[in-house]
Amino acid sequence: MVTDEALSAVFKGHSIDRDNVAHFRGRLERRLLINRCIDCGVWRHPPRPICSSCWSSRLEPTPVAGTGTIHLAIFLHQGPPAEGVDYATPYPVVTVELDEQPGLRFTSSVVGAPNETIAIGRRVRLDWIERAGTPLPVFRLAEGAGQ
Amino acid sequence: MISARNPMKDKVAIAAAATTGFTAQNTERSQLSLGAEACIKAIRACGLTASDTDGICGSAVPAAAMQSALGIPEVTWFANPSIPFGNQIAAAAAAVHAGLAEVVLAYHTPYRLPWNTSGALKDPFRRGGMTMPGAGAVPETVAGVAGYTAWAARYLHEYDARREHFGYVAINDRSNAARNPAAAMRAPLDMDDYLAARMIRWPLSMLDMDVAVDGADAFIITTPERARDMALPPVLIQAVVLGMIDRNEEDQTPGLHRHGQHVVVEALKARSDFWTDGMDLFFPYDGFSFITLAWIESVGLCGPGEAGGFIEANWDQAAKRILIDGHIPVNPHGGSLSEGGSQGSGHVREAVHQLQGLAGERQVEGARTALLTPGGFFFNAQGLTLRRA
Ligand SMILES: [Zn+2]
Repeated sequence: MVTDEALSAVFKGHSIDRDNVAHFRGRLERRLLINRCIDCGVWRHPPRPICSSCWSSRLEPTPVAGTGTIHLAIFLHQGPPAEGVDYATPYPVVTVELDEQPGLRFTSSVVGAPNETIAIGRRVRLDWIERAGTPLPVFRLAEGAGQ
Repeated sequence: MISARNPMKDKVAIAAAATTGFTAQNTERSQLSLGAEACIKAIRACGLTASDTDGICGSAVPAAAMQSALGIPEVTWFANPSIPFGNQIAAAAAAVHAGLAEVVLAYHTPYRLPWNTSGALKDPFRRGGMTMPGAGAVPETVAGVAGYTAWAARYLHEYDARREHFGYVAINDRSNAARNPAAAMRAPLDMDDYLAARMIRWPLSMLDMDVAVDGADAFIITTPERARDMALPPVLIQAVVLGMIDRNEEDQTPGLHRHGQHVVVEALKARSDFWTDGMDLFFPYDGFSFITLAWIESVGLCGPGEAGGFIEANWDQAAKRILIDGHIPVNPHGGSLSEGGSQGSGHVREAVHQLQGLAGERQVEGARTALLTPGGFFFNAQGLTLRRA
Protein backbone atom coordinates (compact mmCIF):
# COMPACT_ATOMS: atom_id res chain seq x y z
CA MET A 1 0.00 0.00 0.00
CA VAL A 2 1.42 3.35 -1.08
CA THR A 3 0.70 6.04 1.50
CA ASP A 4 -0.97 9.32 0.53
CA GLU A 5 2.30 10.95 1.52
CA ALA A 6 4.23 8.90 -1.05
CA LEU A 7 1.78 9.28 -3.96
CA SER A 8 3.14 12.60 -5.21
CA ALA A 9 6.64 11.14 -5.43
CA VAL A 10 5.33 8.07 -7.28
CA PHE A 11 3.37 10.20 -9.78
CA LYS A 12 5.95 12.87 -10.39
CA GLY A 13 4.62 15.70 -12.53
CA HIS A 14 0.99 15.12 -11.58
CA SER A 15 -0.80 17.05 -8.92
CA ILE A 16 -2.65 14.55 -6.75
CA ASP A 17 -5.60 15.75 -4.71
CA ARG A 18 -8.71 14.41 -2.94
CA ASP A 19 -10.69 14.47 -6.16
CA ASN A 20 -8.30 12.47 -8.35
CA VAL A 21 -6.54 10.22 -5.86
CA ALA A 22 -8.72 7.20 -6.70
CA HIS A 23 -7.77 7.52 -10.38
CA PHE A 24 -4.07 7.44 -9.54
CA ARG A 25 -4.42 4.61 -7.05
CA GLY A 26 -6.14 2.68 -9.85
CA ARG A 27 -3.11 3.15 -12.03
CA LEU A 28 -0.96 1.39 -9.44
CA GLU A 29 -3.13 -1.71 -10.06
CA ARG A 30 -3.08 -1.15 -13.84
CA ARG A 31 -6.74 -0.22 -13.83
CA LEU A 32 -7.83 2.91 -15.75
CA LEU A 33 -10.56 4.35 -13.52
CA ILE A 34 -12.82 7.11 -14.80
CA ASN A 35 -15.49 8.75 -12.63
CA ARG A 36 -19.04 7.63 -13.35
CA CYS A 37 -22.11 9.02 -11.64
CA ILE A 38 -24.04 6.38 -9.70
CA ASP A 39 -27.26 8.39 -10.02
CA CYS A 40 -27.35 9.37 -13.69
CA GLY A 41 -24.67 7.18 -15.27
CA VAL A 42 -22.70 10.00 -16.92
CA TRP A 43 -18.92 9.57 -17.20
CA ARG A 44 -16.65 12.54 -16.72
CA HIS A 45 -12.89 13.12 -16.82
CA PRO A 46 -10.81 14.61 -15.26
CA PRO A 47 -12.19 13.65 -11.84
CA ARG A 48 -14.39 16.22 -10.13
CA PRO A 49 -16.04 16.04 -6.70
CA ILE A 50 -19.58 16.20 -8.10
CA CYS A 51 -21.41 15.04 -11.21
CA SER A 52 -21.68 18.09 -13.45
CA SER A 53 -24.82 16.66 -15.08
CA CYS A 54 -26.98 16.02 -11.98
CA TRP A 55 -24.90 17.43 -9.08
CA SER A 56 -24.82 14.09 -7.32
CA SER A 57 -21.72 13.53 -5.21
CA ARG A 58 -22.08 9.75 -5.56
CA LEU A 59 -19.31 9.12 -8.06
CA GLU A 60 -17.77 5.74 -8.72
CA PRO A 61 -14.25 5.51 -10.12
CA THR A 62 -15.04 2.83 -12.71
CA PRO A 63 -12.75 0.80 -14.99
CA VAL A 64 -13.16 1.55 -18.69
CA ALA A 65 -12.74 -0.98 -21.48
CA GLY A 66 -9.81 1.02 -22.84
CA THR A 67 -10.99 0.93 -26.44
CA GLY A 68 -11.53 4.09 -28.41
CA THR A 69 -10.63 6.30 -31.34
CA ILE A 70 -7.81 8.84 -31.65
CA HIS A 71 -9.41 12.29 -31.59
CA LEU A 72 -6.32 14.50 -31.28
CA ALA A 73 -2.74 13.59 -32.22
CA ILE A 74 0.43 15.62 -31.95
CA PHE A 75 4.13 14.77 -32.06
CA LEU A 76 6.51 16.39 -29.60
CA HIS A 77 9.91 17.35 -30.98
CA GLN A 78 10.82 18.57 -27.52
CA GLY A 79 9.25 18.27 -24.10
CA PRO A 80 9.75 17.62 -20.43
CA PRO A 81 12.33 14.99 -19.46
CA ALA A 82 10.71 11.59 -18.86
CA GLU A 83 12.19 8.13 -18.54
CA GLY A 84 11.93 6.22 -21.82
CA VAL A 85 11.08 9.29 -23.89
CA ASP A 86 13.63 10.38 -26.48
CA TYR A 87 12.39 13.30 -28.55
CA ALA A 88 14.89 12.48 -31.33
CA THR A 89 11.98 10.51 -32.68
CA PRO A 90 9.02 12.86 -32.20
CA TYR A 91 6.96 11.57 -29.29
CA PRO A 92 3.28 10.95 -30.04
CA VAL A 93 0.66 12.34 -27.67
CA VAL A 94 -2.92 11.37 -28.40
CA THR A 95 -6.30 12.19 -26.95
CA VAL A 96 -8.51 9.15 -27.31
CA GLU A 97 -12.29 9.30 -27.34
CA LEU A 98 -13.30 6.31 -25.23
CA ASP A 99 -16.09 4.01 -26.37
CA GLU A 100 -18.00 4.42 -23.09
CA GLN A 101 -19.47 7.83 -23.98
CA PRO A 102 -19.24 10.40 -26.81
CA GLY A 103 -16.84 13.20 -25.83
CA LEU A 104 -15.27 11.23 -22.95
CA ARG A 105 -11.55 11.45 -23.62
CA PHE A 106 -8.26 10.34 -22.11
CA THR A 107 -4.84 11.62 -23.13
CA SER A 108 -1.66 9.57 -23.26
CA SER A 109 0.79 8.20 -25.83
CA VAL A 110 0.77 5.43 -28.43
CA VAL A 111 3.43 2.73 -28.17
CA GLY A 112 4.55 0.04 -30.59
CA ALA A 113 3.67 1.84 -33.81
CA PRO A 114 5.68 3.99 -36.23
CA ASN A 115 4.62 7.65 -36.09
CA GLU A 116 3.34 7.67 -39.67
CA THR A 117 0.68 5.12 -38.71
CA ILE A 118 -0.58 7.14 -35.72
CA ALA A 119 -3.40 9.39 -36.90
CA ILE A 120 -6.70 10.91 -35.92
CA GLY A 121 -9.45 8.38 -36.57
CA ARG A 122 -7.37 5.26 -35.81
CA ARG A 123 -8.85 2.76 -33.37
CA VAL A 124 -6.78 1.99 -30.27
CA ARG A 125 -6.80 -0.14 -27.14
CA LEU A 126 -5.37 0.49 -23.69
CA ASP A 127 -2.12 -1.08 -22.57
CA TRP A 128 0.26 -0.47 -19.68
CA ILE A 129 3.97 0.24 -19.59
CA GLU A 130 6.18 1.31 -16.68
CA ARG A 131 7.94 4.60 -16.16
CA ALA A 132 10.44 4.68 -13.32
CA GLY A 133 8.69 1.63 -11.88
CA THR A 134 5.20 3.19 -11.97
CA PRO A 135 2.49 1.86 -14.31
CA LEU A 136 1.60 4.28 -17.12
CA PRO A 137 -1.58 3.84 -19.20
CA VAL A 138 -0.82 4.05 -22.95
CA PHE A 139 -2.49 3.00 -26.16
CA ARG A 140 -1.69 0.57 -28.96
CA LEU A 141 -3.17 0.75 -32.43
CA ALA A 142 -5.94 -1.80 -32.86
CA GLU A 143 -5.31 -4.37 -35.61
CA GLY A 144 -6.25 -3.32 -39.08
CA ALA A 145 -9.01 -0.87 -38.16
CA GLY A 146 -9.15 2.64 -39.67
CA GLN A 147 -11.53 5.60 -39.23
CA MET B 1 -27.50 31.69 -20.89
CA ILE B 2 -26.24 34.60 -22.93
CA SER B 3 -27.70 38.04 -22.23
CA ALA B 4 -27.61 41.09 -24.49
CA ARG B 5 -27.83 43.40 -21.48
CA ASN B 6 -25.03 45.98 -21.54
CA PRO B 7 -25.60 48.96 -19.25
CA MET B 8 -21.88 49.78 -19.42
CA LYS B 9 -21.99 50.39 -23.18
CA ASP B 10 -19.89 53.45 -24.10
CA LYS B 11 -19.86 54.55 -20.44
CA VAL B 12 -16.19 53.81 -19.81
CA ALA B 13 -13.23 55.19 -21.73
CA ILE B 14 -9.62 54.27 -22.30
CA ALA B 15 -7.86 57.64 -22.04
CA ALA B 16 -4.34 56.52 -22.91
CA ALA B 17 -2.16 53.53 -23.73
CA ALA B 18 1.62 53.30 -23.43
CA THR B 19 4.35 50.71 -23.89
CA THR B 20 8.02 50.18 -23.16
CA GLY B 21 8.35 48.36 -26.46
CA PHE B 22 9.20 44.66 -26.50
CA THR B 23 12.44 42.73 -26.87
CA ALA B 24 12.99 38.99 -27.33
CA GLN B 25 16.00 39.05 -25.02
CA ASN B 26 16.45 38.93 -21.27
CA THR B 27 16.71 42.55 -20.21
CA GLU B 28 18.61 43.37 -17.03
CA ARG B 29 15.37 44.72 -15.57
CA SER B 30 12.59 43.38 -13.36
CA GLN B 31 8.94 43.06 -14.32
CA LEU B 32 8.19 45.85 -11.85
CA SER B 33 10.74 48.13 -13.52
CA LEU B 34 9.25 47.58 -16.98
CA GLY B 35 5.70 47.87 -15.68
CA ALA B 36 6.41 51.07 -13.79
CA GLU B 37 7.93 52.64 -16.91
CA ALA B 38 4.82 51.89 -18.95
CA CYS B 39 2.54 53.13 -16.13
CA ILE B 40 4.39 56.42 -15.81
CA LYS B 41 4.18 56.92 -19.58
CA ALA B 42 0.43 56.28 -19.57
CA ILE B 43 -0.22 58.60 -16.62
CA ARG B 44 1.87 61.36 -18.21
CA ALA B 45 0.21 60.89 -21.60
CA CYS B 46 -3.07 61.88 -19.93
CA GLY B 47 -1.52 64.91 -18.27
CA LEU B 48 -2.10 63.31 -14.85
CA THR B 49 0.05 62.64 -11.81
CA ALA B 50 0.22 59.69 -9.40
CA SER B 51 -2.33 61.25 -7.05
CA ASP B 52 -4.98 61.39 -9.79
CA THR B 53 -5.13 57.57 -9.87
CA ASP B 54 -7.51 55.81 -7.48
CA GLY B 55 -7.56 52.27 -8.88
CA ILE B 56 -4.93 49.75 -10.02
CA CYS B 57 -5.47 46.61 -12.03
CA GLY B 58 -2.56 44.51 -13.26
CA SER B 59 -1.29 41.09 -14.15
CA ALA B 60 1.72 39.29 -12.65
CA VAL B 61 3.14 42.20 -10.68
CA PRO B 62 0.89 42.63 -7.62
CA ALA B 63 -1.14 45.84 -7.58
CA ALA B 64 0.25 46.54 -4.12
CA ALA B 65 3.83 46.44 -5.41
CA MET B 66 2.98 48.71 -8.33
CA GLN B 67 1.17 51.24 -6.14
CA SER B 68 4.10 51.33 -3.74
CA ALA B 69 6.67 51.68 -6.52
CA LEU B 70 4.77 54.52 -8.17
CA GLY B 71 3.96 56.26 -4.91
CA ILE B 72 0.27 56.49 -5.63
CA PRO B 73 -1.02 58.02 -2.38
CA GLU B 74 -4.27 56.09 -2.13
CA VAL B 75 -6.46 53.75 -4.14
CA THR B 76 -10.02 52.64 -3.40
CA TRP B 77 -9.97 49.58 -5.69
CA PHE B 78 -7.34 47.16 -6.98
CA ALA B 79 -7.20 43.72 -8.58
CA ASN B 80 -4.86 41.22 -10.24
CA PRO B 81 -7.01 39.18 -12.64
CA SER B 82 -5.36 36.41 -14.63
CA ILE B 83 -4.37 36.99 -18.25
CA PRO B 84 -5.21 37.41 -21.18
CA PHE B 85 -5.58 41.16 -20.91
CA GLY B 86 -9.30 41.24 -21.65
CA ASN B 87 -9.65 40.32 -17.98
CA GLN B 88 -7.88 43.48 -16.85
CA ILE B 89 -9.96 45.62 -19.21
CA ALA B 90 -13.19 44.00 -18.03
CA ALA B 91 -12.34 44.36 -14.35
CA ALA B 92 -11.15 47.96 -14.67
CA ALA B 93 -14.10 49.03 -16.81
CA ALA B 94 -16.60 47.44 -14.45
CA ALA B 95 -14.92 49.11 -11.48
CA VAL B 96 -15.10 52.52 -13.14
CA HIS B 97 -18.70 52.02 -14.22
CA ALA B 98 -19.72 50.86 -10.74
CA GLY B 99 -17.93 53.74 -9.05
CA LEU B 100 -15.38 51.64 -7.17
CA ALA B 101 -12.70 53.86 -8.68
CA GLU B 102 -12.70 56.75 -11.14
CA VAL B 103 -9.24 56.68 -12.73
CA VAL B 104 -7.80 53.17 -13.03
CA LEU B 105 -4.26 52.35 -14.02
CA ALA B 106 -4.23 48.96 -15.82
CA TYR B 107 -0.96 47.25 -16.75
CA HIS B 108 0.58 44.04 -18.03
CA THR B 109 4.21 42.99 -17.89
CA PRO B 110 5.10 40.26 -20.41
CA TYR B 111 8.34 38.73 -19.20
CA ARG B 112 10.67 35.97 -20.34
CA LEU B 113 10.29 33.17 -17.80
CA PRO B 114 11.20 29.48 -17.69
CA TRP B 115 7.67 28.40 -18.73
CA ASN B 116 7.78 30.36 -22.00
CA THR B 117 11.47 30.27 -22.89
CA SER B 118 14.31 28.10 -21.68
CA GLY B 119 16.57 31.11 -22.32
CA ALA B 120 15.16 32.62 -19.13
CA LEU B 121 17.02 29.98 -17.13
CA LYS B 122 20.30 31.73 -17.95
CA ASP B 123 19.23 34.60 -15.70
CA PRO B 124 19.36 33.73 -11.96
CA PHE B 125 16.69 36.35 -11.25
CA ARG B 126 14.17 34.65 -13.54
CA ARG B 127 14.41 31.05 -12.40
CA GLY B 128 11.61 31.37 -9.86
CA GLY B 129 9.10 33.07 -12.12
CA MET B 130 5.52 32.08 -12.70
CA THR B 131 4.74 28.61 -13.97
CA MET B 132 1.81 27.36 -15.98
CA PRO B 133 -0.17 25.15 -13.58
CA GLY B 134 -0.84 21.57 -14.60
CA ALA B 135 1.04 21.86 -17.84
CA GLY B 136 4.22 20.50 -19.23
CA ALA B 137 5.35 18.39 -16.27
CA VAL B 138 4.77 15.09 -18.10
CA PRO B 139 4.79 14.60 -21.88
CA GLU B 140 1.42 12.81 -22.06
CA THR B 141 -0.88 15.81 -21.88
CA VAL B 142 -2.47 18.40 -24.11
CA ALA B 143 -3.02 20.78 -21.19
CA GLY B 144 -1.36 24.17 -21.38
CA VAL B 145 0.88 24.98 -24.32
CA ALA B 146 0.10 21.75 -26.23
CA GLY B 147 -3.66 22.39 -26.27
CA TYR B 148 -3.79 24.59 -29.35
CA THR B 149 -1.34 22.32 -31.14
CA ALA B 150 -3.71 19.43 -30.57
CA TRP B 151 -6.72 21.27 -31.94
CA ALA B 152 -4.62 22.61 -34.83
CA ALA B 153 -3.97 18.98 -35.75
CA ARG B 154 -7.69 18.29 -35.53
CA TYR B 155 -8.33 21.33 -37.78
CA LEU B 156 -5.99 19.92 -40.44
CA HIS B 157 -7.82 16.60 -40.14
CA GLU B 158 -11.38 17.93 -40.35
CA TYR B 159 -10.95 20.51 -43.08
CA ASP B 160 -9.19 21.09 -46.34
CA ALA B 161 -6.54 23.10 -44.52
CA ARG B 162 -2.76 23.10 -44.79
CA ARG B 163 0.14 24.26 -42.63
CA GLU B 164 0.58 27.12 -45.12
CA HIS B 165 -2.67 28.55 -43.76
CA PHE B 166 -1.03 28.86 -40.33
CA GLY B 167 1.94 30.38 -42.14
CA TYR B 168 -0.15 33.26 -43.51
CA VAL B 169 -0.81 34.38 -39.94
CA ALA B 170 2.91 34.36 -39.10
CA ILE B 171 3.83 36.23 -42.29
CA ASN B 172 1.04 38.80 -41.80
CA ASP B 173 2.25 39.53 -38.28
CA ARG B 174 5.87 39.83 -39.35
CA SER B 175 5.08 42.16 -42.25
CA ASN B 176 3.06 44.38 -39.91
CA ALA B 177 5.77 44.37 -37.24
CA ALA B 178 8.22 45.81 -39.74
CA ARG B 179 6.32 49.10 -39.34
CA ASN B 180 6.26 48.95 -35.55
CA PRO B 181 9.34 50.21 -33.69
CA ALA B 182 8.01 48.58 -30.48
CA ALA B 183 8.05 45.09 -32.05
CA ALA B 184 10.56 42.40 -31.07
CA MET B 185 10.73 40.56 -34.44
CA ARG B 186 10.94 42.73 -37.55
CA ALA B 187 13.05 40.83 -40.08
CA PRO B 188 11.03 39.90 -43.19
CA LEU B 189 9.50 36.43 -43.34
CA ASP B 190 8.23 34.42 -46.30
CA MET B 191 6.50 31.07 -46.72
CA ASP B 192 9.77 29.20 -47.31
CA ASP B 193 11.10 30.52 -43.99
CA TYR B 194 7.87 29.52 -42.32
CA LEU B 195 7.88 25.98 -43.66
CA ALA B 196 11.57 25.54 -42.77
CA ALA B 197 11.15 26.66 -39.15
CA ARG B 198 12.04 24.25 -36.36
CA MET B 199 9.13 22.00 -35.46
CA ILE B 200 8.26 22.11 -31.76
CA ARG B 201 5.11 20.03 -31.53
CA TRP B 202 3.80 18.85 -34.87
CA PRO B 203 1.92 20.48 -36.55
CA LEU B 204 3.16 23.74 -35.01
CA SER B 205 6.69 25.13 -35.24
CA MET B 206 8.66 27.97 -33.64
CA LEU B 207 6.98 30.49 -35.95
CA ASP B 208 3.46 29.40 -34.91
CA MET B 209 4.12 30.33 -31.27
CA ASP B 210 4.20 33.78 -29.72
CA VAL B 211 7.63 35.18 -29.02
CA ALA B 212 8.63 35.45 -25.36
CA VAL B 213 9.48 39.07 -24.61
CA ASP B 214 10.35 41.56 -21.91
CA GLY B 215 8.25 44.69 -21.88
CA ALA B 216 5.10 46.26 -20.50
CA ASP B 217 1.91 48.02 -21.53
CA ALA B 218 -0.18 50.35 -19.43
CA PHE B 219 -3.54 52.06 -19.79
CA ILE B 220 -5.65 54.71 -18.09
CA ILE B 221 -9.30 53.71 -17.83
CA THR B 222 -11.84 56.24 -16.62
CA THR B 223 -15.22 57.80 -17.29
CA PRO B 224 -15.81 59.45 -20.69
CA GLU B 225 -16.35 62.75 -18.85
CA ARG B 226 -12.95 62.62 -17.15
CA ALA B 227 -11.29 61.34 -20.33
CA ARG B 228 -12.57 64.31 -22.32
CA ASP B 229 -10.62 66.63 -20.01
CA MET B 230 -7.40 64.69 -20.57
CA ALA B 231 -4.82 65.14 -23.29
CA LEU B 232 -5.86 62.50 -25.86
CA PRO B 233 -9.09 61.56 -27.66
CA PRO B 234 -11.09 59.09 -25.53
CA VAL B 235 -11.69 55.56 -26.81
CA LEU B 236 -15.00 54.14 -25.59
CA ILE B 237 -15.40 50.56 -24.42
CA GLN B 238 -18.55 49.44 -26.14
CA ALA B 239 -18.67 45.87 -24.87
CA VAL B 240 -16.40 43.31 -23.27
CA VAL B 241 -16.98 39.58 -22.90
CA LEU B 242 -15.07 36.79 -21.18
CA GLY B 243 -16.47 33.59 -22.68
CA MET B 244 -16.26 30.02 -21.43
CA ILE B 245 -18.18 26.77 -21.71
CA ASP B 246 -18.50 23.96 -19.20
CA ARG B 247 -16.18 21.39 -20.73
CA ASN B 248 -13.26 23.79 -20.94
CA GLU B 249 -10.39 21.34 -20.37
CA GLU B 250 -8.16 21.18 -23.43
CA ASP B 251 -8.79 17.50 -24.16
CA GLN B 252 -12.48 17.44 -23.17
CA THR B 253 -13.73 20.52 -25.00
CA PRO B 254 -16.50 19.47 -27.40
CA GLY B 255 -14.81 20.48 -30.65
CA LEU B 256 -13.86 23.10 -33.19
CA HIS B 257 -17.57 23.92 -33.51
CA ARG B 258 -18.08 24.60 -29.79
CA HIS B 259 -15.72 26.33 -27.36
CA GLY B 260 -15.27 29.66 -25.58
CA GLN B 261 -15.02 31.67 -28.81
CA HIS B 262 -18.60 30.88 -29.73
CA VAL B 263 -19.87 32.29 -26.44
CA VAL B 264 -17.76 35.42 -26.92
CA VAL B 265 -19.06 36.02 -30.42
CA GLU B 266 -22.72 35.55 -29.55
CA ALA B 267 -22.54 37.84 -26.50
CA LEU B 268 -20.24 40.49 -27.98
CA LYS B 269 -22.36 40.75 -31.13
CA ALA B 270 -25.52 41.16 -29.06
CA ARG B 271 -23.94 43.87 -26.89
CA SER B 272 -22.24 45.93 -29.61
CA ASP B 273 -23.52 48.41 -32.22
CA PHE B 274 -21.15 47.15 -34.91
CA TRP B 275 -19.72 43.86 -36.08
CA THR B 276 -17.31 42.81 -38.81
CA ASP B 277 -19.08 44.83 -41.52
CA GLY B 278 -18.64 47.97 -39.41
CA MET B 279 -15.12 47.44 -38.11
CA ASP B 280 -12.10 49.47 -39.23
CA LEU B 281 -9.57 47.30 -37.38
CA PHE B 282 -9.48 43.63 -36.43
CA PHE B 283 -7.34 42.11 -33.66
CA PRO B 284 -7.87 38.34 -33.53
CA TYR B 285 -5.61 36.69 -30.95
CA ASP B 286 -2.50 34.99 -32.28
CA GLY B 287 -0.66 33.50 -29.31
CA PHE B 288 -0.65 30.46 -31.59
CA SER B 289 -1.14 31.06 -35.33
CA PHE B 290 -4.02 28.59 -35.45
CA ILE B 291 -6.06 30.64 -32.95
CA THR B 292 -6.27 33.46 -35.51
CA LEU B 293 -7.79 31.15 -38.11
CA ALA B 294 -10.34 30.02 -35.53
CA TRP B 295 -11.29 33.60 -34.62
CA ILE B 296 -11.63 34.59 -38.30
CA GLU B 297 -14.14 31.76 -38.64
CA SER B 298 -15.84 32.27 -35.26
CA VAL B 299 -16.62 35.94 -35.88
CA GLY B 300 -18.23 34.90 -39.16
CA LEU B 301 -15.88 36.33 -41.76
CA CYS B 302 -16.04 32.89 -43.42
CA GLY B 303 -17.29 29.40 -42.68
CA PRO B 304 -15.63 26.67 -40.60
CA GLY B 305 -12.35 25.54 -42.14
CA GLU B 306 -12.35 28.38 -44.67
CA ALA B 307 -9.98 30.85 -42.98
CA GLY B 308 -7.06 29.91 -45.24
CA GLY B 309 -9.10 30.66 -48.34
CA PHE B 310 -10.44 33.85 -46.74
CA ILE B 311 -6.90 35.07 -46.12
CA GLU B 312 -5.85 34.22 -49.68
CA ALA B 313 -8.80 36.23 -51.00
CA ASN B 314 -7.86 39.21 -48.79
CA TRP B 315 -4.08 39.06 -49.16
CA ASP B 316 -2.09 42.14 -50.15
CA GLN B 317 0.64 40.48 -52.16
CA ALA B 318 2.92 43.52 -52.31
CA ALA B 319 2.83 44.13 -48.56
CA LYS B 320 2.65 40.38 -47.67
CA ARG B 321 -0.21 40.95 -45.26
CA ILE B 322 -3.95 40.61 -44.81
CA LEU B 323 -6.13 43.56 -45.81
CA ILE B 324 -9.76 42.61 -45.41
CA ASP B 325 -11.78 44.10 -48.27
CA GLY B 326 -8.58 45.87 -49.26
CA HIS B 327 -8.51 48.20 -46.24
CA ILE B 328 -8.84 46.48 -42.84
CA PRO B 329 -5.49 45.30 -41.45
CA VAL B 330 -5.29 42.38 -39.05
CA ASN B 331 -3.08 42.90 -35.98
CA PRO B 332 -1.33 45.89 -37.61
CA HIS B 333 1.23 46.09 -34.77
CA GLY B 334 2.55 42.59 -35.54
CA GLY B 335 0.60 40.71 -32.89
CA SER B 336 1.86 38.09 -30.47
CA LEU B 337 3.94 36.31 -33.11
CA SER B 338 6.08 39.31 -34.04
CA GLU B 339 5.51 42.32 -31.82
CA GLY B 340 5.74 39.97 -28.86
CA GLY B 341 3.66 37.68 -26.69
CA SER B 342 1.73 40.18 -24.58
CA GLN B 343 -1.33 38.03 -23.87
CA GLY B 344 -3.52 40.65 -25.52
CA SER B 345 -2.21 43.89 -24.01
CA GLY B 346 -0.36 44.75 -27.23
CA HIS B 347 -3.55 44.24 -29.22
CA VAL B 348 -5.52 46.57 -26.95
CA ARG B 349 -2.74 49.19 -26.92
CA GLU B 350 -2.47 49.21 -30.72
CA ALA B 351 -6.26 49.47 -31.06
CA VAL B 352 -6.30 52.46 -28.71
CA HIS B 353 -3.43 54.15 -30.55
CA GLN B 354 -5.10 53.55 -33.93
CA LEU B 355 -8.41 54.97 -32.68
CA GLN B 356 -6.57 57.98 -31.23
CA GLY B 357 -4.69 58.57 -34.49
CA LEU B 358 -1.33 57.86 -32.82
CA ALA B 359 -0.23 54.77 -34.79
CA GLY B 360 2.43 56.48 -36.88
CA GLU B 361 3.17 54.85 -40.21
CA ARG B 362 0.74 52.04 -39.33
CA GLN B 363 -2.16 54.47 -38.97
CA VAL B 364 -5.40 53.39 -40.63
CA GLU B 365 -6.83 56.65 -41.89
CA GLY B 366 -9.98 57.69 -40.04
CA ALA B 367 -10.25 54.48 -38.00
CA ARG B 368 -13.27 54.68 -35.70
CA THR B 369 -14.03 51.11 -34.62
CA ALA B 370 -12.04 48.08 -33.55
CA LEU B 371 -13.05 44.47 -32.93
CA LEU B 372 -10.67 42.63 -30.61
CA THR B 373 -10.78 38.97 -29.67
CA PRO B 374 -8.01 38.29 -27.16
CA GLY B 375 -7.31 34.73 -26.01
CA GLY B 376 -7.99 31.26 -27.31
CA PHE B 377 -10.63 28.56 -26.75
CA PHE B 378 -10.67 27.02 -23.33
CA PHE B 379 -10.67 29.34 -20.31
CA ASN B 380 -9.43 32.46 -22.01
CA ALA B 381 -11.67 33.43 -24.96
CA GLN B 382 -12.42 37.13 -24.79
CA GLY B 383 -13.96 39.86 -26.90
CA LEU B 384 -13.83 43.62 -26.87
CA THR B 385 -15.41 46.29 -29.07
CA LEU B 386 -13.88 49.75 -28.99
CA ARG B 387 -14.86 52.95 -30.76
CA ARG B 388 -13.53 56.44 -30.96
CA ALA B 389 -15.72 58.85 -28.99
ZN1 LIG C 1 -25.03 12.45 -12.36
